[in-house]
Amino acid sequence: MNILRLLQTVDRRVIYVLLMLSVTIPFFLPIRLPMKVSPATQAFYNAVEELKPGDFVLLSVDWEAGTRGENGPQTEAVVTHLMRKKCRFAMLSFQPQGPKISQLIVDRLAKEYGYRDGIDWVNWGYRVDAKNYLKGFVQDVPGVIKTTTKGEPVANLEVMKGIKTAKDINLIINVTPSNIYATYIQFVAGAKKIPMVVAPTSVIVPEVFNYLDSKQIVGMMPGLPGAGEYESLLGTNTKVTRFANSASFAHLLIIFFIILGNIAMVMERRQRAQSGGNA
Amino acid sequence: MFTPQTGGAWYGYIAGAIVASIVLIVILTQLPQRARKWVLFTVTFLGGLFYALEFFLPTHEMMIEGNKAEGNFLTPFVVPMANILPALSSFAVGLGVINLFQLHTKRVLKWNLDSINSVVFFVAMILMTVAHIMAKRPHPSEFVTSLQKILFDGALQSLDATMFSIIAFYITSAAYRAFRVRSLEATLLLATAIIVMLGQITIGQLLTSSLPDYLHIEVVRNWILTKVNAPATRAIAVGLGIGSLAVGLRIWLGLERGSYFEN
Repeated sequence: MNILRLLQTVDRRVIYVLLMLSVTIPFFLPIRLPMKVSPATQAFYNAVEELKPGDFVLLSVDWEAGTRGENGPQTEAVVTHLMRKKCRFAMLSFQPQGPKISQLIVDRLAKEYGYRDGIDWVNWGYRVDAKNYLKGFVQDVPGVIKTTTKGEPVANLEVMKGIKTAKDINLIINVTPSNIYATYIQFVAGAKKIPMVVAPTSVIVPEVFNYLDSKQIVGMMPGLPGAGEYESLLGTNTKVTRFANSASFAHLLIIFFIILGNIAMVMERRQRAQSGGNA
Repeated sequence: MFTPQTGGAWYGYIAGAIVASIVLIVILTQLPQRARKWVLFTVTFLGGLFYALEFFLPTHEMMIEGNKAEGNFLTPFVVPMANILPALSSFAVGLGVINLFQLHTKRVLKWNLDSINSVVFFVAMILMTVAHIMAKRPHPSEFVTSLQKILFDGALQSLDATMFSIIAFYITSAAYRAFRVRSLEATLLLATAIIVMLGQITIGQLLTSSLPDYLHIEVVRNWILTKVNAPATRAIAVGLGIGSLAVGLRIWLGLERGSYFEN
């Protein structure tokens, strides 16, 4: 087979193996690539930084294990920041796995920062039917939430002190791979003029930019790179940096193959045109 | 509006709700199609009308559940509605489970090589449901806690993450085969994709760090996303919004063909 044709039709199994290597090897290498903070991530960070100790934050963790690679580090970064700022927060999710996976992150960080369940933070758990649920939620938070994941009535918890309606929430943070953030904007953040920030997966970043541009949200942490940028602002260095290395090399591999295929295609075309011209 | 029940009353209310739901579903299925359509149309119309009127009618300051709020005479019913509607939505999940059970029972009864997948479905679903219910009871045993941990953290989460990760392999292979400079549009798409991808990663940022600020790859990527991509997606979103409004109105007013089990 012609070498130029071969470069255009590399077997997919070769690509799979190379991708696997480009993701795994950099993960174990002790390299730290420089990370520039985007304006969107900086705005997200500023929104949390402006909170005062004791302010109440709604952390909507609408993600599942499938997007843990991106949403996990995002949740970890923002929870770390909230705990450093000594803010109260409540987790809510419209995805079944969301509260449990996020609780694992919070439990780990709570030990480090001395956060107590029910006093400094609370897990409201999984709920269905976001649109109708949030319509009631804005009017009567404890009346609609009712109980925590442990079955305790939320109205009696110390963390809920002074929280009656959505207007008592100081910031909404939505970590999500879906467009649930639009429902929050529509029925909670927009309707009650509550500042909101979003941490989406990279794939929906272009959509979320619209809401950032229109100032309906005040900040965005775009995917895994955003989580890395946020960590560099926090001055922490955890797995995200290594994740970012893997993502960097995987992207480079994709770009390499795209360029390779195109160069081979253009050269083959030129070769054909020349041989056609000679004939 | 509704006071939470505890103890025996709670079980009584649950049993009552299940019996009432079954009776209602049986009555609905026994009704002639024309009458059923009118019942469903009336319920849908009133449901939509409630939210439309609550949103559009003038508001004034009022007390709701002891809290000062802005609203009209329908606003106090928004919270009870928010409590009722998720319960109705749960019926959709229940119907989905019934449907899955019917489908896989048929496959198991027709026994062939593929039936093993249906057996796995039954085992996984029953085991996961039982383990979760047992773990939610007060003072669960260590065995139940471990079982739930293995099933949820060990199996479900890992499988979910694996399934999603596999997409990366397909995307790489597809990008290699599809991104070819066959036309001007394809070339533009290719160039944009490469800039955005490079701007997304730290190595890309490193490569252009010695260039003037406005040529930094992350700056160019941000410009593409905010100044080129955002207006286009906004236009699509507005179109989708208007389309959704039209479809919503048609369903609300019973004009949509195929609504309410029509052929």
